[in-house]
Amino acid sequence: MSSRKQSPARLVIALSVAGCLAIFLLYTSIAGGGTSSLRPSQLAGREGKEVQLAGLVLAPVRGDAHAGGLRFRLRDIDGRGRVPVVYEGSVPDLFKVGRHVYLTGTLRKGVFVGERGTLVTKCPSKYAPKRS
Amino acid sequence: MPELGRAALIVCLGLSAYAVVAGGLAAHHRRRRLAVSAQNALVASFAAAAVAAGVLVAGLVRHDFSLAYVADHTSRKLPTAYTISAFWGGQEGSLLLWLLVLTGFSAAAVFLNRRATRDLLAWVVPVLGTVGAFFAFLLVAVSSPFVTQVAPADGAGLNPSLQNPYMVAHPPLLYLGFVGLTVPFAFAMAALLARRADERWIVATRRWTLAAWGFLGIGQLLGAHWAYVEVGWGGYFAWDPVENAALMPWLAATAFLHSVMIQERKGMLKVWNMLLVILAFCLSLFGTFLTRSGVVNSIHSFTQSAIGPWFLGFICAITAGSLALLFLRLPLLRSKTRLESLVSREATFLYNNLLLVALCLTILWGVTYPILSEAVRGEAVTVGRPYYDFFLRVFGLPLLLLMGIGPLVAWRRASLRGLRRMLALPVAVALVVGAALLVLGSGSSRPGLVAYTFSAFVLASIGLEFLRGARARRDTAGESWPAALAALVNRNRRRYGGYVVHASVVLLAIGVAGSSAYQTIREAKLRPGESMQAAGYTLTYRSLSTRPVENRQEVRALVDLRRGDRLVARVEPGKNRYFAEDQVSNEMAIHTSWLRAEDVNVIADQVNPDGSVYFKVLVKPLVNLIWAAGFVFLGGALIAFWPDAREERRLVARYSRAGALPAEA
Repeated sequence: MSSRKQSPARLVIALSVAGCLAIFLLYTSIAGGGTSSLRPSQLAGREGKEVQLAGLVLAPVRGDAHAGGLRFRLRDIDGRGRVPVVYEGSVPDLFKVGRHVYLTGTLRKGVFVGERGTLVTKCPSKYAPKRS
Repeated sequence: MPELGRAALIVCLGLSAYAVVAGGLAAHHRRRRLAVSAQNALVASFAAAAVAAGVLVAGLVRHDFSLAYVADHTSRKLPTAYTISAFWGGQEGSLLLWLLVLTGFSAAAVFLNRRATRDLLAWVVPVLGTVGAFFAFLLVAVSSPFVTQVAPADGAGLNPSLQNPYMVAHPPLLYLGFVGLTVPFAFAMAALLARRADERWIVATRRWTLAAWGFLGIGQLLGAHWAYVEVGWGGYFAWDPVENAALMPWLAATAFLHSVMIQERKGMLKVWNMLLVILAFCLSLFGTFLTRSGVVNSIHSFTQSAIGPWFLGFICAITAGSLALLFLRLPLLRSKTRLESLVSREATFLYNNLLLVALCLTILWGVTYPILSEAVRGEAVTVGRPYYDFFLRVFGLPLLLLMGIGPLVAWRRASLRGLRRMLALPVAVALVVGAALLVLGSGSSRPGLVAYTFSAFVLASIGLEFLRGARARRDTAGESWPAALAALVNRNRRRYGGYVVHASVVLLAIGVAGSSAYQTIREAKLRPGESMQAAGYTLTYRSLSTRPVENRQEVRALVDLRRGDRLVARVEPGKNRYFAEDQVSNEMAIHTSWLRAEDVNVIADQVNPDGSVYFKVLVKPLVNLIWAAGFVFLGGALIAFWPDAREERRLVARYSRAGALPAEA
């Protein structure tokens, strides 16, 4: 009897999967993909493109984050490439030399210009570093 | 003392491993005494974990800085409550807490199910033992909280952001939720291993799932409130991978809680429920992996941990093993009944499940996209807030709508005419509210207006359900309205507890829409005596003061908050500098206007040496509904969770219908 009939649940699931895929394709085609997440050493050739940059803060840290911008350099966390950064906007409490941070911005004439409010400092002591 | 802690962990590992091997053999060969021995080993592993936890707590309270963990996470001046909460402030302690909760839950599961589901329990023990042995192994061999050193004079202290009452409660509640999902997973795997296709594993774990889901929900809301009051940015959720890590298993568990009702009632969705319980458990493990491995950029990521690869391996093994087992048992899990109509209560549960799982997988895709893109294209690509917000609207708004439609649709097959009659009043309420909001100017945010209109529809639908039920009781039993309402909820706690939880989700949606779509943000640098405007408020910066308090120095800016000529409040945003930790923490000032149903958040973003302050002001309408939703959610979850003698009798009858327990050798 009904056992030979195809359950509408399968149709619903199939249509839902197709719907989800369609929505996803629509999103990625209209709103664009994501932002590349790079290290300072990977910035070469990315002039003018919006990327997320992650690195370690190097001394000195100069300037005013709300007037002209905070200026510092970021280094690859594993130690080679480095890039000067200028950032305007809120600075996280935990920001200081030696911290791992990431921010979104654009490389302009060799300087990485951060977007307002994108600077994030990784939580340093919630998960303690590996002991050597 | 550290030796005692290390020994207790080794004993815990040994007992868990014994529970796996002996429990597996006992279940396979149906050896009753060996099975009891494995159960006892699992219970004893809790005692061993408790000893290890006791040693760590003693080390923390005694400021025993010869324990590296204590020195890394506390200091002599740290208040006692935060000294104890440092137990879960670091990785090793968090893992130990996980092990303690897991072994505690395992012991409770053994105790509570030793008679009713004895044959299932035989297989539950080795599954729980496997998870326990993994965590015990990590603590013994990879990440021990009992590493010793030459004791320094003082410790490094606890991150100032974590020195907050919410942080005392938020992580343990999340752990209770994450670990709680292990129990339904273990029973599901046990049902597959024991070749039991009936609903007993679901009935046995319903409260476990509900409790784990409730802990996860409350834990996340506490975390959001902590972020709101402590982090000093005025937000409460940022789609950070670690926040997503807690949200994903909660979404999967929400879908599971709904779809098990269909299996209990109709015997349908058996495979789907197995998949959901596997998904929820694996996502809870994945969350930990994400946090510890540092594979994606997160504010919480711990980039140097050695436990990431172990977790990845364990997740892969658990996922592959459970899916393979499910595949092998597929013939057993065929449903005898089918969905009869696309317009029925069952169908709305199915739609709800598909939307919840779609939202969960979309978030998972967003979280893993950087890893996958790096593997495929050699470059990590992250998706940001617009991605998550887009999919929250696409899947979240229909979910909200379904919460209003579902309770009004009949089981099996609903007629469209009947449905129209049932929906007429809620739809009318929604349209009136929507039109009124449009007139009042809420059309500035289309998603906000849609969310409010849908919320009105759901609240009207829930109210109607309570009203209909109470009126029926009044008519039949002649009770007063309050008595009829109380009896209605009392006689069907699961259903009406569920409606209360739905109401909390609506409050949450209204709070999120109000505080994000209609918020006002203003920034300005002020010198003493200068003012700024924000959403009808005038803020005047009066003066700056500095004072030493316990383990910190507090800098406060005195700000007058006026509306017109009237002084509404005097607030003191500022910053704390913690001596031992050598860290600064932003202390946002919040003024809540209950009359206007909004918060005014004043942040002293940058305090300059010349006494000027760069202020950031956020006016957030309806944000407090989010926290109110937490209380309503807790109330609903407790109603649904509360033991019910009549239901227990129904379950006993169901057990006996499912067949007497097979005699064991």
